[in-house]
Amino acid sequence: MANDLRIDVFDPAAPCEPELYESRANVLKRAFAAGGAIVAGGVLVAGLPRSAASAPSPAQDAEILNLVLLLEHMEADFFAEASVRAKLTGELLEFAEIVRGQERAHVAFLRDALGRKARKRPSFDFGEATQNPTAFSAAAVALQDLMVTAYNGQAANLTKGALEAAAKIVSVEARHAGWIRAITEKNPAPEPTDSPRTAAQVTAAVNKTRFLKSD
Amino acid sequence: MIVASGAVGDSGSPQAPGALEAPALPPSPDPALTVPTPTPIRRGATSTWAPVRRTVLARARPEPDADAVARLETRTPEGTSNIVIVFGRRRDAAGRLWVQVRLPVLPNDRTAWVPRRALGGYEVVRTRLVVDLGALTATLLRDRRPVFRADIGVGQAAWPTPTGEFYIRNRLTNYDSAFYGPLAFGTSARSAVLTDWPDGGFVGIHGTNQPGLLPGRVSHGCIRMRNEDILELGRLMPIGTPVTVR
Amino acid sequence: MPIEPISDLTLDQLDRDGAIREALDGVSSRAGFLGKAFVGSAALLGTLAAPRRAGAASPSDNAILNFALTLEYLQAAFYTETQRLGAIGAELARVPRQLGGVERAHVAALQDVLGRAAVKRPRFDFKGTTEDQVEFLRTAVAFEDLGAAAYKGQATRVDSPALLAAAVAIHSVEARHAAWMRYLAGFTPAGRAFDEGKPEFEVRRIVASTRFIVARPRTTRRRRPRFTG
Repeated sequence: MANDLRIDVFDPAAPCEPELYESRANVLKRAFAAGGAIVAGGVLVAGLPRSAASAPSPAQDAEILNLVLLLEHMEADFFAEASVRAKLTGELLEFAEIVRGQERAHVAFLRDALGRKARKRPSFDFGEATQNPTAFSAAAVALQDLMVTAYNGQAANLTKGALEAAAKIVSVEARHAGWIRAITEKNPAPEPTDSPRTAAQVTAAVNKTRFLKSD
Repeated sequence: MIVASGAVGDSGSPQAPGALEAPALPPSPDPALTVPTPTPIRRGATSTWAPVRRTVLARARPEPDADAVARLETRTPEGTSNIVIVFGRRRDAAGRLWVQVRLPVLPNDRTAWVPRRALGGYEVVRTRLVVDLGALTATLLRDRRPVFRADIGVGQAAWPTPTGEFYIRNRLTNYDSAFYGPLAFGTSARSAVLTDWPDGGFVGIHGTNQPGLLPGRVSHGCIRMRNEDILELGRLMPIGTPVTVR
Repeated sequence: MPIEPISDLTLDQLDRDGAIREALDGVSSRAGFLGKAFVGSAALLGTLAAPRRAGAASPSDNAILNFALTLEYLQAAFYTETQRLGAIGAELARVPRQLGGVERAHVAALQDVLGRAAVKRPRFDFKGTTEDQVEFLRTAVAFEDLGAAAYKGQATRVDSPALLAAAVAIHSVEARHAAWMRYLAGFTPAGRAFDEGKPEFEVRRIVASTRFIVARPRTTRRRRPRFTG
């Protein structure tokens, strides 16, 4: 809900770094372009070799679903806020309103599936990305592409039950991706495949946006 | 799960907004399929043919009450599927789709319109056979480049090979006739002279048991070539290939 | 006498028209695929150097791959024919060009991994849907929605994790295509929050109901000619 979020465009105590004065939408775009950056206190989070310990399991499902749940929370809040604050009209407004509802449904589904293991609800600060149609569009394109590659990156790690559900969701996220790109006159499907992103890459991309205030 | 120093660009800044810690999850396995970079279709000199799916009247214009020009059957006299070359389309006032086709009828080298539904699926060929009655050669082009050439025998003066635009309709094999050689192609061209010939007097392209006569004006209209040449042509020339005779 | 003979390694076994047609289309010729310009990764070079296998992994995965290949053949042929005929409007011309390229690439990838076990390309009759803008878009919407549903229906049946990784990467592209085609056709690109998969039998039933897959016309016969001679 929009009134849950504190909207601070700049942190006045931050040092003068050019990045902080860029719109968050641009930051988000650059983050996704960079892809596989490293996070978490400078520690290299490498992909783990697949072993018996990392074969599909309910425990691993919970980790994965919580990761995508964070992304779904981010999307649900982003579209909710943008649909009222970003001065959207016409196709963009219609897109934001429909997607808002569908992302909420994804959040509800994942929270229900995870039960008590569901992560605490995160809070976000989208800055300029929810303030005007241009910044909104750029951020929406990047977010949807991130969603698709995040799910694709975890498909082989899920148990069959979780995979079946995840497939139904990623399909809709891919539709959203094609849709917003079509609206903004970009190529809806520029590549013949949507290459997966690892959890580390997804996390890095999320962190580079600086949308996440607390998880 | 907040990590104190996770944000990009941190260099002694106060605590950044919440930074996510990456869960320890395996990477995706290398995909079993390697999808290549999409490539465009090769443009070229293509021609399209389709089988005749049901007997139909071909008309002078794409309208249901236009004059009928010819009747198209579903089978050739040889018992193969009848086919036509398709090279245009139009909708009539009622919205029905019509296509413009080359006809295997006399007089030769005619076109007319049939409803799209009377035809089956389209097939595309990139080849064209050029028959030169003066030079007595047959040349197969693929994408406009020659890939085969042979000396030929053509019709004598009394039974000339017709000139114009035609196409390969069928291929006959495994028959026991030295006269026609090992392989024969049927074309849409018909002798304008031998109109009473059994099975319609269609012009064929086939082998011969008299290669010594080639090149020459020796036949009743058919195009003859040496047996090794017709076999090679059989490997290179698909059904539906347009044939230009000049 | 031949000027530029084509390879005739297996022509005697294959349907002549089919083999020649495939080679000329560049859609599914394996010789053509090997010659295509996508040089690069070690994994790819390894694939090219490896002896041709008769299929990927389990028989079940092979069956799934061939099922996917049939659908990709259908889509690739549909877009390729639409582009060739050039009968839809100029503003949409990019659609069959781009989607055709992608679906042909999907065909090539599936044929390569299946090797000798790949099903042959069927013959198609698209019954005018490649010749009219409205019919084209409606059919494209149906194909892309169906393709995405088919992949979802198979996802939990795949044995090999590597194959699953490849399948999901293709599936999301089909869903993008579906949204795009719906957008162009004036339908909602994402009608619901969760997309259902379809099982194989239902996908095949739907494909059969289009009657787009047809028998090969019989244009060759063992029979004595009665041409004019």
